[in-house]
Amino acid sequence: MRRNNPKRELWFAWYTTVIFYNFYFIVFFPVTHAQPPPHPYWSDALVANWFGHNHHGLIIGFGIIFAVAGLTAPQNALIAYSMRRMSVSRVFAWSYLVLYSVAAIPGLLLLCVALSVGALRPARDPAQLHWLYDFGLLSFTGTMGLFLIGSLVWMLAILLDKNRVLPKWFGYLNLCNALTEVVIAPAWIFHAGVFSWNGLISWWVDIVVFGIYTGAFLTQLRKLIQREDFGDGPLPELTKPHRAGASLAGTAP
Amino acid sequence: MTEIAEAGPPPGADRQPAEAAGKPARHIPGQPDMWVLVLFEALVFTAYFAVYLYHRSAYSGLFLRSQASLSPWLGTLDTLLLLTSSMFMLRCVQAARAGAFRSAMANAHLTGAMGAAFLASKITEWFLLVHGGHTFTSNQFFMYYFFLTGIHLLHLLIGFIILGVIIYQLRGPRRRSLELVETCATYWHTVDLLWVLIFSLLYVVR
Repeated sequence: MRRNNPKRELWFAWYTTVIFYNFYFIVFFPVTHAQPPPHPYWSDALVANWFGHNHHGLIIGFGIIFAVAGLTAPQNALIAYSMRRMSVSRVFAWSYLVLYSVAAIPGLLLLCVALSVGALRPARDPAQLHWLYDFGLLSFTGTMGLFLIGSLVWMLAILLDKNRVLPKWFGYLNLCNALTEVVIAPAWIFHAGVFSWNGLISWWVDIVVFGIYTGAFLTQLRKLIQREDFGDGPLPELTKPHRAGASLAGTAP
Repeated sequence: MTEIAEAGPPPGADRQPAEAAGKPARHIPGQPDMWVLVLFEALVFTAYFAVYLYHRSAYSGLFLRSQASLSPWLGTLDTLLLLTSSMFMLRCVQAARAGAFRSAMANAHLTGAMGAAFLASKITEWFLLVHGGHTFTSNQFFMYYFFLTGIHLLHLLIGFIILGVIIYQLRGPRRRSLELVETCATYWHTVDLLWVLIFSLLYVVR
């Protein structure tokens, strides 16, 4: 059956990704104040106070995340799709899908669960709240191995690809992003300073790299959809946009 | 991708039309995309160095005392090893450009040997420091020392993979992409440059 706009599903996945990252930023930064992460060296009393101070933000914010966390699936699928469009083995796309599906647990959900429990059980012993606080934030910042390998898988696919699906420089940018996943590892050791989970190097430098990387991959995936011809050879370069009303298929919204 | 034939005109001659017109050609070695990585990593390391220097000025006494525990001879040896490796890499690229693949392969292997010697020297230095009671968590200086040398060593390990790509390219007559050889060489020189900066900051600057 002929489809009217074969790119519609791809645009759906792309906009879903953009919407998810908007939710992510709003919830994690201004609503819950889970990012930038609060201090790792706080005492039990200060941690309990933090939970009390952010009570409503944590419940509302992570409630939203629990509702929309599944939006990461179309994003992962779109990235896997980019690898399926390349002249490389399907092993790359499948590996990426599996890695990032698992990565959502330590890289997103554990933090939300642990901090939500802390917010919803304020009468618990402050030492237990502190344990939840450490567990949530360490699982979030310290389990980057899955993201490291995922970035390397995408990088390798891009560098081996002959269909010019994504530019080689973006492949190399994946390596830069992967290296930041190593830099965050000392957060398990240090309670204060530049390598703690909210440190100047472990968090601030890494978040700048991640921000640039996220902006780059959203832009490149957008271009990929614009260029997609649904063939299996080299992806054509972008031509000048058609005049309005000329055709719906293949045009960027 | 520029493929190098076993015989015929010098490799890369076909990509310099400006030279044929009597103008000096402007040529970026390798894939221009690799320079994104080089510039991006340079920016990231600049951030690391800025943070290091800030803390160095804040704890100058501690940093000076701790710095005295480092062996300047091992640091100098490391630097010489990597600079020599870069020289062999340069000769490898020049040989590949001239179509002298046997020489290019030999220089690629020598580059790897120098890199391996650097790796051995660095691990020896780490062992000696840890044996002497200086670890990642000992103090601010050693925290930066192990971080900067560690992240650099990670770049070097990636460099070994890149060297493998060069050797793979040079070994097969059908492959021999000069562009890839130059791209990989760009990465290797970047690792070298980063070490020179790290050596200056950790061992030399007082």
